[in-house]
Amino acid sequence: MKFILFTFLTALLVIVFNPFLHYWSVMLLIAIFAALVGNKGAGAFFAGGLGMGIAWLGQSLYISTVSGSNLPQKMGDLMGFGSDIVLLAVTAGLGFFLGAFSALTGSLFRRLLKKKPNNIYKGY
Amino acid sequence: MKYIGFLVVLTLTVALALSVSRQFGTIPPLAPLLDPYHGFWQNSISEDELAEDKLELNKLSSEVKVVYDENLIPHIFANTQADLYRAQGYITAKHRLWQMEFQTMAAAGRISEIVGPLALDLDRITRRKGLAYGAEKGVTFIQENDPESFLLLEAYADGVNQYIDQLKDAQLPVEYKILNYRPEHWTAFKSILLLKYMTDMLVGDRDLEYSNLRKILGDVMLDKLYPEYPTGVEPIIEAGHKWNFNPLAVTRPDSINYPDDQLVIDPLPQPEEGTGSNNWAVSGSKTKSGNPILANDPHLSLNLPSLWYSMQLTTPEYSVKGATLPGALGVISGFNENIAWGVTNATRDTRDWYKITFQDESRQAYRYGEKWQQTSFRIEEIKVKGEEAYLDTVVYTHYGPVVYDKTFNSNRQDVNFALKWNVHEGSNEQKTFLMLNAGKSHDDYNAALDNYTAPAQNFVFASKSGDIAMRIQGKFPLKWKGQGKFFMDGADPRMEWQGYIPNEQNASTLNPSRGFVSSANQHPTDSTYPYYVFDNSFEFYRNRRINSRLSEMKDITVEDIQALQFDDYYLHAAEALPIMLELLGSEFENDDQAKKYITLLKEWDFYADPNQKGPSLFYIWWRKTYSQVWKELSDNVAPIVLPSYYQTVLFMKNEPSGPVFDLKNTAETETAAAHVKQGFLEMLTDMKKWELEEGDFSWANYKKTTIKHLVPQFKSFSVENVYTGGGSGIINATSERHGASWRMVVELGADVKAFGIYPGGQSGNPGSKYYSNFIAKWANGEYLDFNLRTADQTEGVLFQTILN
Repeated sequence: MKFILFTFLTALLVIVFNPFLHYWSVMLLIAIFAALVGNKGAGAFFAGGLGMGIAWLGQSLYISTVSGSNLPQKMGDLMGFGSDIVLLAVTAGLGFFLGAFSALTGSLFRRLLKKKPNNIYKGY
Repeated sequence: MKYIGFLVVLTLTVALALSVSRQFGTIPPLAPLLDPYHGFWQNSISEDELAEDKLELNKLSSEVKVVYDENLIPHIFANTQADLYRAQGYITAKHRLWQMEFQTMAAAGRISEIVGPLALDLDRITRRKGLAYGAEKGVTFIQENDPESFLLLEAYADGVNQYIDQLKDAQLPVEYKILNYRPEHWTAFKSILLLKYMTDMLVGDRDLEYSNLRKILGDVMLDKLYPEYPTGVEPIIEAGHKWNFNPLAVTRPDSINYPDDQLVIDPLPQPEEGTGSNNWAVSGSKTKSGNPILANDPHLSLNLPSLWYSMQLTTPEYSVKGATLPGALGVISGFNENIAWGVTNATRDTRDWYKITFQDESRQAYRYGEKWQQTSFRIEEIKVKGEEAYLDTVVYTHYGPVVYDKTFNSNRQDVNFALKWNVHEGSNEQKTFLMLNAGKSHDDYNAALDNYTAPAQNFVFASKSGDIAMRIQGKFPLKWKGQGKFFMDGADPRMEWQGYIPNEQNASTLNPSRGFVSSANQHPTDSTYPYYVFDNSFEFYRNRRINSRLSEMKDITVEDIQALQFDDYYLHAAEALPIMLELLGSEFENDDQAKKYITLLKEWDFYADPNQKGPSLFYIWWRKTYSQVWKELSDNVAPIVLPSYYQTVLFMKNEPSGPVFDLKNTAETETAAAHVKQGFLEMLTDMKKWELEEGDFSWANYKKTTIKHLVPQFKSFSVENVYTGGGSGIINATSERHGASWRMVVELGADVKAFGIYPGGQSGNPGSKYYSNFIAKWANGEYLDFNLRTADQTEGVLFQTILN
């Protein structure tokens, strides 16, 4: 449940802030967010990745659908991918990795700050 | 342990973030490009979806209204000229920023900054020709002689810059994103440079080639193969025109010593074959409505974003509409409520080369008469992406820059040649267009043209008051017969140009009795014009077709003129093919494939329509025959030019067994028939291959007209295989890579009726639906409505924006 919520909130964060901020600022925000929320390792990695990946995929899909432009196809040809579908996948994949590594970094940073072993906080 | 884990992941994350922000070789930084909020995805959105009611443009005296019609053509309504051009700069940048900057980078020899060492040679050529040097002279000239225009140039530049400063990443043109650089500020210098660049695109010279030909053939044979006035030429100014002026005297030196080397130098790039234009105007006496009609279609390299950008520019004093050049002020080919004008290239040799004899290795002085004259050095610093800057030292003489020297394009260390070209002298072409835009009469047109130096143009004119006119305008050097046709000795002061033809003695005509004026890059005048006129590239076919059609047409309508602009009649084929078929005889009667082609050719009506097969067959057969005829000449190591198609056909017709056809290094004596047969054999081979690989050889499929993006590597931004007819030497001059880059027809009645089209679209953005939307119509010979609009007109409005 927390995983889905984290994914959703990361996506929301990208949707709200990415229009004004560069991707690396968004990465920083995701890392901070992950540090605050505290999903663990793999959970943070996949939730952060899926969040940003889905947000990027969604925005790309939205723009190409609404605009009806053939630019994605042209860019796909230009970049040697051959099709806009591959380019969509590459965009989503890139978003995934940027989000995933950012969230994992944030999550591991949180672990650094914990002064005592985890189990002390069990039930907290 | 957890520290190590954190550090490893942190390092990985930072490395990932950095690597997707960096360029690797030709791969652009991925994240900024793919980021759907800032990267290329955003360029998918068309202009109408991004429309804003208000935009901020500072330093206006009052608000400016911009109304876009359904073709995204902006109509700018401003109260003052300064506001008008500030808004023109802003709006042009909004739709064509990348292109206007890229073109001036090319003109300045700065492409290496964008693409790396790949473009270094190109940049060196551009700089050694002195284009930027000429533009610097132009800036000073305008500042000193015409400060008002300079203020307007600065207003335009400011408009462009305000747009650049407001530009968000998302709307940054996609080419910047792919090539990974950003726009820099515009300046008046860049606008002037752009006009110099046009000169470079349109003006060539063949002095090198003619020098070699003179050496190879001798004067007598040179005049026979390359006559300056071949029989049957129809000049621009109607033959028999009376010249009502006393010409200036030009003295020819009694002895001329041409530099006598046969030169193996790589020649500079020349204007490409197919670069040319048509324009004409018919007087009311020949039209159905009684109003004059004017037409213009400049033929240039077919590119995207299109070279032209359509606009209406309105102040309380005038309203002008037509084709603008992104980067230059005003309308270049267009009309207003009172007059219309258009341009074709007036090719004439205005570029000459002088052999320079340096005193010593230091190149600080060169011989001139009895003295040694000082040179100056201009160091060109060419920035190269990813590498150290390249420093190129160019020596300047009083003639101009020494383009060919030991460091450039020369296989011989001792050869130095300086280029004299009027593009290096201060001039103010911009003023011509500012004045034409506001012009009301034939007098205004003449006054505007007096400011014009280069590239020389045939300016056609028509006015509501019923005048039609043609004037060949440029700053033409006074030359004695033959001067500048070959390389000259720069040490001999007698080789200097002796001044310039005064503007009022440039060839012109007003309301000739034949009822029309026309030009299509042919000879400007008949041989009675009192000055020496020479060029290698005069055209022989389009002009005769235009003139014969205009002579026979009566009750002409706008539709008739549109049809004439799209006329596909292949005059060269009509003249050459019957001779070739005759010479071919019955040799191939037993070959089925040959018989099929001969039948097709015999049945062909000489129209180069896209579905016809005749033009493809003729085109191949002619080219093979032509190269066979001049095989011996083209086998020379030294660069030369071949005799024109027109002259070659004349030889085939008049002296098919003459010595011009004999190849000296074979035992037999060749005649025209031998070459025609050889050409036919080679065509059979080529056609066999084509039919096997491609099948259909109808004309459009064979010539494959392509409209290429300005970066040729961006293939998917180009439009390939446009289905359209025409070809080089045909009124509809659409060949593979060249053609009508703008077609305009204007009828000057009480209400001006205007039509225009160009092969592209108003948007420079390859993702926009307005990027290439005119091409299908253009290919079909259709036009867009170009009537003048008023500010409050509501029909056909896409959106409108207030600038304030």
